[in-house]
Amino acid sequence: MNIEHRTPNLEIKQIFRISSFIIRYSVFLIIVFLSSCANPHKNLPSTELRVSEIKNIPYALPYTDKAIIYKTDISFYKNDISGLLIIKRTDENVYRIALTTQFGLKIFDFELNHGELKVKYCVEYLNKKVILNTFETDFNLLLLQNKFDSIQRIQNQKQNQTIWQLKSGKLNYNYIEDVNSQNVVRISFKKRNSEKISVGLYAYRGDIPGEIKLEHHNIKLKMDLKLIQ
Amino acid sequence: MNKILSTIISLFLFITILNAQENGFSKVKDMEKTKSDLSKLTENTSAIKSQFVQEKHLSFLTENIRSKGEFYFKSPNSLRWEYSEPFEYIIVFNDKNIMIKDGAKISTYDTESNKMFSEINNMMIGTIQGNLFTDNERFDVEYFENASQYLLELDPKLPEMKSMLKTIKIFIDKSDISVAKIKMIESSDDYTSIEFINRKLNQEIKESIFKL
Repeated sequence: MNIEHRTPNLEIKQIFRISSFIIRYSVFLIIVFLSSCANPHKNLPSTELRVSEIKNIPYALPYTDKAIIYKTDISFYKNDISGLLIIKRTDENVYRIALTTQFGLKIFDFELNHGELKVKYCVEYLNKKVILNTFETDFNLLLLQNKFDSIQRIQNQKQNQTIWQLKSGKLNYNYIEDVNSQNVVRISFKKRNSEKISVGLYAYRGDIPGEIKLEHHNIKLKMDLKLIQ
Repeated sequence: MNKILSTIISLFLFITILNAQENGFSKVKDMEKTKSDLSKLTENTSAIKSQFVQEKHLSFLTENIRSKGEFYFKSPNSLRWEYSEPFEYIIVFNDKNIMIKDGAKISTYDTESNKMFSEINNMMIGTIQGNLFTDNERFDVEYFENASQYLLELDPKLPEMKSMLKTIKIFIDKSDISVAKIKMIESSDDYTSIEFINRKLNQEIKESIFKL
């Protein structure tokens, strides 16, 4: 009786051991697979640049002295905000960034000064530290104001791309240039190799992107910009 | 010497007075006539069809941002703003609904749930119909005039409104007692002005205009 009882128990234990081995092994495999995916530029030829060479990135938006106006739709969880986004460089590394409604009333008016966001005006429902920090990160990314320690230029000949990679500790900012058009077509912000924000830049008018789509991957925030002027 | 000094002082005073109010306007003299003129605003404007030009002034820009379009109003509370420049955008207020057409996308909101929109709606209708400047609880009102226009300056009293706007200036043509221009000045002195041109008053407007 006893033996008969034990046999199925043993079988269950064995099955359990085998399956737990399979699970562990596949977890290991997934990790190996993911880590090889995480750094897609690892084996590509790269050049370490001087920090001042950031100006060689072919991306004019941070340097133009004209006022740039984008029709803007922001969706933030269940809120939709739309209006006109006005970006104006007022000094080197100093920008005014204002969003107004269709009727002209201001939603926010920020100054981005050497990467630091200062609030000139902000409607109450957006005037929260978490939201302001998010805007700071987004506009630093769009206007190339991120703080970084090193910069690398990576050639991806297969994709016909040049990747300008700025690094600061666990953070990295990739400005991906399409070699044919010599425009930055994608920006990607990663923390510990996981992508937090991606930006697509399309329909260039001269050297200014005609359309910008910014998306956060850890929070529900999207920004769609269409160039008016 | 005294003459020069008094000229300088009076010039200085003149400049200060000019700064204090819109160019060429002075305080109304005959308040009763003004009030009786303005009381016609409501009956004069049971329906309005007009073009508009909107200018946004931001202190850090050298040029104002211009928008244009058509405007429709029908008493008691139907409004349609149809922007054609710099891009097509239509916003319709109809009773308790707000409909927005942005490109191909149409969205509907409810004024009760959207405080900011209902505030805009009330302000616009109140401005056009004239009940905004009799609202002593919400605004302090000052009356000015020149040969062709009345100018009403409304200073919001309520904190929520005050945080958005410092003053609303309403320019009313004396010839037909209808609103010719609205200027909304923010606390930073940035402003939005909306000028109504080719105004057609009290003409039939189809109900379908206020639907999307």
